[in-house]
Amino acid sequence: MTERLVDARLHLLGRQVLDTDGEPVRTVDDLELAGPGGGEVRAGQEAHVAAVLVGPVLATRLFGGRVPDSMLPRIAWEDVGHVGTAVELTVGSDRLDADWVEHWVRERLIGRIPGGRHDPEGDG
Amino acid sequence: MRALARRADHQGVTQQTGRRRLAAAGLALVVTLAALLAGTGCVASRQEPGQATAAVADALAEAGSAGETARIAVGLLDEGRVTGPVADTVLLDQLRVLDDAESALTTLVPPDAASSARRTTGLDAVGDVSDAVVAARAWVAARSGGDLASHDVPASSDVLLAELATALDATDAALAEAGGP
Amino acid sequence: MKKLLGVALGILTAIGGFVDIGDLVTNAVVGSRFGMSLAWVVVLGVVGIVLFASMSGRVAAVSGRATFEIIRERLGPRAAGANLLASFAINLLTLTAEVGGIALALHLASSVEPRLWIPVAALAVWLVLWRVKFQVMENVAGLLGLLLVGFAIALFQLGPDWGELLRQAVPPSPPGTEHPASYWYYAVALFGAAMTPYEVFFFSSGAVEERWTAKDLGTNRLNVLLGFPLGGLLSLAIAACAAVVLLPAGIEVSSLSQIVLPVAQAGGVLLLAVVILGIVAATFGAALETALSSGYTLAQYLGWSWGKFRRPARAARFHLTMIVALLVAVGILMTSVDPVAVTEMSVVFSAVALPLTYVPILVVANDPAYMGRHVNGRVANALGMVYLVIVVVAAVAAIPLMIATGAGS
Repeated sequence: MTERLVDARLHLLGRQVLDTDGEPVRTVDDLELAGPGGGEVRAGQEAHVAAVLVGPVLATRLFGGRVPDSMLPRIAWEDVGHVGTAVELTVGSDRLDADWVEHWVRERLIGRIPGGRHDPEGDG
Repeated sequence: MRALARRADHQGVTQQTGRRRLAAAGLALVVTLAALLAGTGCVASRQEPGQATAAVADALAEAGSAGETARIAVGLLDEGRVTGPVADTVLLDQLRVLDDAESALTTLVPPDAASSARRTTGLDAVGDVSDAVVAARAWVAARSGGDLASHDVPASSDVLLAELATALDATDAALAEAGGP
Repeated sequence: MKKLLGVALGILTAIGGFVDIGDLVTNAVVGSRFGMSLAWVVVLGVVGIVLFASMSGRVAAVSGRATFEIIRERLGPRAAGANLLASFAINLLTLTAEVGGIALALHLASSVEPRLWIPVAALAVWLVLWRVKFQVMENVAGLLGLLLVGFAIALFQLGPDWGELLRQAVPPSPPGTEHPASYWYYAVALFGAAMTPYEVFFFSSGAVEERWTAKDLGTNRLNVLLGFPLGGLLSLAIAACAAVVLLPAGIEVSSLSQIVLPVAQAGGVLLLAVVILGIVAATFGAALETALSSGYTLAQYLGWSWGKFRRPARAARFHLTMIVALLVAVGILMTSVDPVAVTEMSVVFSAVALPLTYVPILVVANDPAYMGRHVNGRVANALGMVYLVIVVVAAVAAIPLMIATGAGS
């Protein structure tokens, strides 16, 4: 496996996150870093990415401020398969807690309207 | 897969976007103000004699436009080139225009006797056109098989067109007086 | 043979899909007040939209990314967010105008008043978005929209003085009764009507929906190069009909019913019925496109799952956005606001918002990281720069002109 140097700001932040079927999940809003051995991050020491944080950041993006990390759903770095023009995961979006808004809208709203689960490409 | 990531430094980006945000806010303010001004500009009553006369001319031009539209619609229905519902819609839309013209005149505050006189003439002309268009609508309804009292409905399209023509002549005269096109 | 049919279909739907309520109303108003003296703006707008649409289609086909994803990635979250708010708001305004247009056209076809048609129209739009396949939706709306060729037929049947029409257009000679500020205000409005921003969101997202690749670039170019100019000719026909019948009578267009009068005069009830059906189809198609654009822009900015090719349950927030947008449009229209007035506002604000979408597309079309070897050629870039200036000038001039002329009165 070849290692590549990736600039977090250019290639990770703001990028689309796709699940294993290529379905978009959200955009990368922040990265959770952890120090060696999963401990605290300290300046000057090596750190690695523990998770990708996605979340409802429209308001903070426009008006400033930050959503605290504990409020941002996380996708563990182990689930990330490939970083290209988008961040591709190895799991389906249905298994991600981070996608809970989509699941909620699906179950409670769209799924309840007749035809919501119909495949438009199926019979046209 | 392991990746070494640098915690992003947002400072430079923040300054730039901060300036952009300020510009965006300023633009939004300008746009809102402009939209408000444009809106009020349409309904404000003119105060100076020149402006008052111009307002009368505008209203008369609108009324003339409405009258001519009615004339065309009546003619087309007579020739069977248009359906009853379409003709009725045309006339209804023009009645709204005439309503606007009338209220533009009634809400006007003429600053001197001359513009006051023109306003009165204007109101009369617009009223004539409105009456003619109302009669036209009755005629359309009767022609489409409606059940209306016969004295409300013009006898024929010729009578109706004559009424429209007279009203439009009055409008043109008033418009010429007000120095309009 | 099948390929040829496919290409023909693409061109025909481009023609039929070109005219929406903004083009219809603005061209008729302009024709009735200024004759053909603003025809050059239609030409300018058509060249612009051809450039714009082909660039965004190419970007989508080659990079596989739709417009707003690219805007988000290139401009960064804050600038893109401001872009999103403005584009979304104007999209919503345009959607309101289109749904209002459907209701007005149905009112013409029946005796039922527009207010009763509004919820029906919105429901119909939603049902199509919910169930109908993208390609089918595009093709049916586009082909039925072709019925608007009735305006061109009407123009010929009216037997106008072609010399006079040409004299009004070249060189542009507006009637003396109109103020220059009004002339330029309507120039901007007409430009905004021709180069509607939603067209670009829809076009590029549609390219992703239909899974275009670099192989489809040729078809894309053909559709756009043939379809849009012919659609522009339809716009000119609408303006010319108004110029021939309404201008000499001193009629100022302020309602949809006036716009169809020249058609009735020329071809009677039959041609009138054809054109009214065309108007319903064109506005319906445009309502579909604008509703989809509102879904596309929001979903692409926030990274949600989107696309009509997915089951609604797999793109839940995308569909929710469109439902909410339609509900807002219905809400606005039920306040009895005049849809024609909403239309006139939407085209002017479209002109204001144009740089927001145009600039990122121009930038990305030149970026080899997204485009590989399909970056803009020298001609495209030269044209692109010229249009950048035009688009910015129009956007900046729009609001002051609106104030100066009291929104064209």
